[in-house]
Amino acid sequence: MTFYLFDRSFYIASDVLLAYITVILSGAALFYLITKANKWPTIKKYVTTTHHRKIGVLYLLSATLFFIRAGIEALIIRIQLAVPENDWWVFQGDKFNEAFTTHGTIMIFFVAMPLLIGLMNVAVPLQIGARDMAFPYMNAVSFWLFLAGAILVNMSFFMTASPNAGWTAYAPLSVSTYTPEAGNDYYVFGLQVSGIGTILAAINMIVTIVRHRAPGMKLTRMPLFPWSTLITSFLILIAFPVLTIALYILMFDRMFGTQFFTGEAGSPIYWQHLFWIFGHPEVYIIILPAFGIFSDVISTFSKKRVFGYTSMVIALAIIGLLGFMVWVHHMFTVGLGPLVNTFFAITTMLIAVPTGIKIFNWLFTMRKGLIRFTTPMLFSLGFIPTFVVGGVTGVMLSVAAADMQYHDSYFVVAHFHYTMIGGTVLGAFAGIYYWFPKMFGIKLKDTLGKWHFWLFVIGFHITFFPMHLAGLNGMPRRVYTYLPKDDVFIYNFVSTIGAFLMGLGTLAFIWNIYQSFKKPDYTGNDPWDGRTLEWSVPSPAPEHPFQPMPLVKTIDPLWEAKRNRGGKLPEAESARSAPIDVTSWQPIGLAGMMMVFSLAFIYHQTWLQIIAGIGVLSFFVIRNLTDEHVRVTREEENE
Amino acid sequence: MRKIYMILSSVLLILSGCNLRVLDPKSQTAKDQSFLVQFSFALMMIVFATVIVLFVWFVWKYRQTEENKHKIPEDEKGNRLFEITWTVLPIILLAVLAVPTIKITYEISASSSATPPNAVHIDVTAQQFSWTFEYQNGVVQTSELVLPKDRPVVFHLNSDDVIHSFWVPKLGGKKDVIPGKERRLILTPDEVGTYQGKCAEFCGKDHALMRFETIVKTQEDYKQWLQKMKQKIE
Repeated sequence: MTFYLFDRSFYIASDVLLAYITVILSGAALFYLITKANKWPTIKKYVTTTHHRKIGVLYLLSATLFFIRAGIEALIIRIQLAVPENDWWVFQGDKFNEAFTTHGTIMIFFVAMPLLIGLMNVAVPLQIGARDMAFPYMNAVSFWLFLAGAILVNMSFFMTASPNAGWTAYAPLSVSTYTPEAGNDYYVFGLQVSGIGTILAAINMIVTIVRHRAPGMKLTRMPLFPWSTLITSFLILIAFPVLTIALYILMFDRMFGTQFFTGEAGSPIYWQHLFWIFGHPEVYIIILPAFGIFSDVISTFSKKRVFGYTSMVIALAIIGLLGFMVWVHHMFTVGLGPLVNTFFAITTMLIAVPTGIKIFNWLFTMRKGLIRFTTPMLFSLGFIPTFVVGGVTGVMLSVAAADMQYHDSYFVVAHFHYTMIGGTVLGAFAGIYYWFPKMFGIKLKDTLGKWHFWLFVIGFHITFFPMHLAGLNGMPRRVYTYLPKDDVFIYNFVSTIGAFLMGLGTLAFIWNIYQSFKKPDYTGNDPWDGRTLEWSVPSPAPEHPFQPMPLVKTIDPLWEAKRNRGGKLPEAESARSAPIDVTSWQPIGLAGMMMVFSLAFIYHQTWLQIIAGIGVLSFFVIRNLTDEHVRVTREEENE
Repeated sequence: MRKIYMILSSVLLILSGCNLRVLDPKSQTAKDQSFLVQFSFALMMIVFATVIVLFVWFVWKYRQTEENKHKIPEDEKGNRLFEITWTVLPIILLAVLAVPTIKITYEISASSSATPPNAVHIDVTAQQFSWTFEYQNGVVQTSELVLPKDRPVVFHLNSDDVIHSFWVPKLGGKKDVIPGKERRLILTPDEVGTYQGKCAEFCGKDHALMRFETIVKTQEDYKQWLQKMKQKIE
């Protein structure tokens, strides 16, 4: 759309224009509603908080917003692909490529990751009897850096420069020779900034779990969600720095004329290795926490402890370890030779063994139990068959010679949506319904939750099952159109219908949140007849949840207490001193400065790079001068 | 009437699956791959069926009802024997799958490195967003690939710009086409016909349009065609 202003013509694509109008109008409406309801103090509380539960809520809230954005992109993709040779709106060529690139990038980094890290923040400290995360200030920094990165990637669309080289950003397409626009710079800096936040979050989780468990809570008594969090955090700590390096090198190739991925000495294969050495563990980073959630939920709603606890933990660890040894299965068609290909085919197949152990342990947790079909349990039950489909296609994909047919076809698209939606997204929904009372003191409505579940899961299968067949019929992924003679119309058409059902399911979820706050069902400490420590503290979880500190003597301590001690947990005599909560504007300030710093690089403004760089560094100085430990010690001395 | 027929046939297409290009192979390579697809699918269906049967059985049998809702299930830590069973059986199943996987992966790779004596050589150049095929006698074709039946064809794959991927689903594949280093792929079509070819690696704006037709002719027809094209350029 071209319009005239001050005798000059400006061009703006109609989709961007519509997005501007939508965002400005809803922003204004939101501003009005917040002011009217007098909620600014609450918002200030959340912005400056370092409390784990509130930060968890912030993660979940932003993940939901990005889920809606990337979900709309999914619908756009599905509309354009609904019929052959479609010419819908502007979504052909680059516009379509941008849509699937940001859909993938946002769904992985700014939906799956924060959904899980958010739930970890809410639940893990409470499950292990910690009074907060080990480093509350750093926890806030993690969140705001994540959000800064996410906003960078999201704003690229409004600056009419979306990333367009796929979420995998394969070189040399992603170097400046082929994509000179700012789009992929947004990708590089957005992921880099949020990546720092993720690494800090992982360090925080590890220290919290290692150092801040309640007395008696040995690692062998820890619930499985904290266990999966611990293992995931180690995976993040190893895998994310590889992404950092890859993005760094890509930045140099794009901005400073180096040739790591092109030219005589460089090779585009280096990018693929680096990306997948990060990228495959990343897949397990976003599935293992979901496994943890399912373990806790299935155990609670079967009224039984989880079957084969030790083998569950070992399976998690083995999956994590094997996750680093399979990255070449994304590269079977590169031509690395039969030895490499078969080696990675075998390691990939091996992952099926610990995953299978987990599936059977979940099934046998339910056996002889008493299954209650609450909403979180429904999501967990929906997960099992769905994920098994993703698992068996995973084994099929590991067969290197056959993968040469599947690779980069819709078969792969179907496979990874079965694992990531079937695993991560259903897991996150189960977790949100399960711990919602701990976050806000109210339950989400059960009836609307069931609508959400059935619409979403049925829609999911209708969307993604036909994609297997489209792939086997020769439909490559990442195409914006196809021909009638390709014989993939019917699969695509059915997919599109399913996608809209999933959209309806998501609307039911959002409506559910609204309704639940409007007519709240207040719940007590223990709405689900829970087994683990978080259900022994008030809902919503207060700033100092464990007073007195419980003494943990068994696995599932609350359940044991309810059976044998009239619900009263034994008390510990002493406990580790709690981390110090503060309120501070510094984390959001630091993240804001990082964003300015990144924008200065994206638009090549040297003066702004210098100023913002100094700004970022000065936050380190400020932090050193305002350390709350000094203040608290001084206050204690004065008493 | 025609519309109803079209819808019916599409529904049948969904249900049957036997018309799917990958499962309708026209070369030995594609046949091997198709076999692996079906073999691994069959093995995996054993796993899938087992899980589904247990799932439905347990969920139905142990659901909470009005009568049992105050009961507390017996505590159960695990069962060593069961756990060993579902560790060992999958390993055996995967070993069965690993054998043909290794064998065929090696065969396909070996056939791509050796050069058969009676092979036809074709230089394939990929560029944004089209394919160029150059034959040994100097004939150059864009977006149309003509192959002889029953003779091994050595594709020399090169890219002028970004990474592409050479894929003819019915003949097997695929092989990435990477700038800076030639890659080879050998296929032997064994049936006359016209097959779709596509770029499978996302390569930029019009990746979706980067397609080619593969026409397999009898050796006689192929020779004639090649000569005719040669005369054209002379």
